[in-house]
Amino acid sequence: MLAIENLRVVYHDVISVLNGISLGVQEGEILIIIGANGAGKTTLLRAISGMIDFYNGDIIEGDIKMGESSIKGLDCTDIMKRYGVTYVMEDRPVFWYLTIEENLKAASFSRWDKQVKADMEEVFEYFPVLQPLRHKKAGYASGGEQQMLAIGMALMTKPKILLLDEPSLGLAPLITEELFQIVKRLNASGITIVLVEQNAHAALNIGTRGYVVETGRIVLDGKAQELLENEDVREFYLGSGEKERKSYKDAKRYKRRKRWL
Amino acid sequence: MIDLLQSVGSGVLVGLVYALLGLCIVIIFKASEAFNFAIGEFLIIGSFLFYTLFFNETIPWHKALQIGVVIFLFFAFILFYDKNLRLRIAFPVGMVTGLLIFCFFFFGLKLSSLITSPLLRFLLAFPLGLLAAGMFGSMVERVTIKPLLGRSPISMTIVTLGLGFLLRACVQLIWGSHSYSFFLDLPDITLEIKDLLFLSDPIWAGILSLIIFGLVIAFLFRTRWGLAIRATSEDQAKAMAFGINARFVLLLVWGISALCIAVAGIMISNFGALSAGMGFVGLRALPVVLIGGMDSIGGALIGGILVGICEALAGAYIEPLGLVGFKEVAPYLLLLLVLFIRPYGFFGTVRIERV
Repeated sequence: MLAIENLRVVYHDVISVLNGISLGVQEGEILIIIGANGAGKTTLLRAISGMIDFYNGDIIEGDIKMGESSIKGLDCTDIMKRYGVTYVMEDRPVFWYLTIEENLKAASFSRWDKQVKADMEEVFEYFPVLQPLRHKKAGYASGGEQQMLAIGMALMTKPKILLLDEPSLGLAPLITEELFQIVKRLNASGITIVLVEQNAHAALNIGTRGYVVETGRIVLDGKAQELLENEDVREFYLGSGEKERKSYKDAKRYKRRKRWL
Repeated sequence: MIDLLQSVGSGVLVGLVYALLGLCIVIIFKASEAFNFAIGEFLIIGSFLFYTLFFNETIPWHKALQIGVVIFLFFAFILFYDKNLRLRIAFPVGMVTGLLIFCFFFFGLKLSSLITSPLLRFLLAFPLGLLAAGMFGSMVERVTIKPLLGRSPISMTIVTLGLGFLLRACVQLIWGSHSYSFFLDLPDITLEIKDLLFLSDPIWAGILSLIIFGLVIAFLFRTRWGLAIRATSEDQAKAMAFGINARFVLLLVWGISALCIAVAGIMISNFGALSAGMGFVGLRALPVVLIGGMDSIGGALIGGILVGICEALAGAYIEPLGLVGFKEVAPYLLLLLVLFIRPYGFFGTVRIERV
């Protein structure tokens, strides 16, 4: 459905963040992308959604394809309208000074029609906690509620592909669990989901496939269950290697020896 | 006592016009965090556009042609600049629009010969002139502000400074720097209560400014475009991620702002005459927004009225003492006082910024 081919992205003409990344998203799956900080996960989502221009980044090589057509270099509103790719930015992208209802209305701006009211009720059905807060300013909602609102806003744009950037950021484990269950429900209702996460364990548990990104490249990919059981992923991202704890010296050498490719 | 009431009353009426000026600054500041220093020039140009329509002013061909060519180049440049629209669209559109504008300036609309009733003429010319001013504002935004989207607001502010000089020169080039007599001939609604006397012109100015102010607020808080503007003014990146075209919203905001400035400009010209050197009046918006708070719409209203009253009181009580011209300084003194007590203005959001 969505294919990224050998993508290279450079910020400010000097900082190379993605160095030839390639991946494919299949219809109806939950694709998990995990990686350390600064690996280029967020940049990847920005590049797909067309927001990269705004952050002074340039796609200098490679292509992003949606089906047959290339969406590289299109405006983000165009990509959203024509191809149904909605990007939920990290750190709860809600409008603080608007009420929750206004937030949802603002998000449905690009497709204003008679359906908006009905869709809003649908969102409230997905996230019942938002219902009593609908006339409250979003800035006063709690972190979990804000993240739910952000996903709700993304739903208002009628996405085919939902790009979620670290929805669990700064949330309690219980809330994260709830959120991921909702993500699973959304996926069941036919939305393809690309989930970028630090919380690798929880994410891989709900995902169908996963990629591991490091320094702007894919270093590992496979079924989510396989990744969960993979030695290296367990050690680096799940923090629970089977082996006994290594001394710092060992770890250092291990790291030098170990290259992903 | 009568004196006091009289000057406070007329101060409020003028203050409403200032409030409108403040509103123009505030909505631009909210949407792009930039201060529009070219407000005085927007004011003159808006008034002149209205003047051209209302008073049947025509311009000699060698000047009108320049405007036509500029418009043509503008469309050719802007549309060509857009990746989706190729030269074949840009060229004819620019050509036609340039020609239309040329005709508009060269032949005039002959409104005054077609319609004799001044009120009817005003009702026709007012929206048209405002529309022209709004289009002009959005044009300016396309050329100067759009390329800076996502950059620091300071650079936008500096651009408006330079823009002010450029526009002032353009106005002098096209319309010359002499004064034009400006008389709207609106129905006389002079108000006389006992010893109080409020002249017709300031009352009209106050009423029209208040109406436009109300319309803008209704637009911002009742329509979906207004919602988009409010969302964008909070965070451009978030708005774009949710499918709001932040670039178009910015264009809209500049258009509305230029439109409101034109209303204020027409009202202020109506007090006296219209000339290219009138731009400094626009800077009266500076104390207005700083007193009210840079990002508060209600603050603009309060600030405007305060500035108006302060100016009127200074004119009535301090100027007769021999301090001629104190009227112009008084708002800035008030501003200084307010900033000592509340650095963010009366209603401004106190923001915590770490440098």
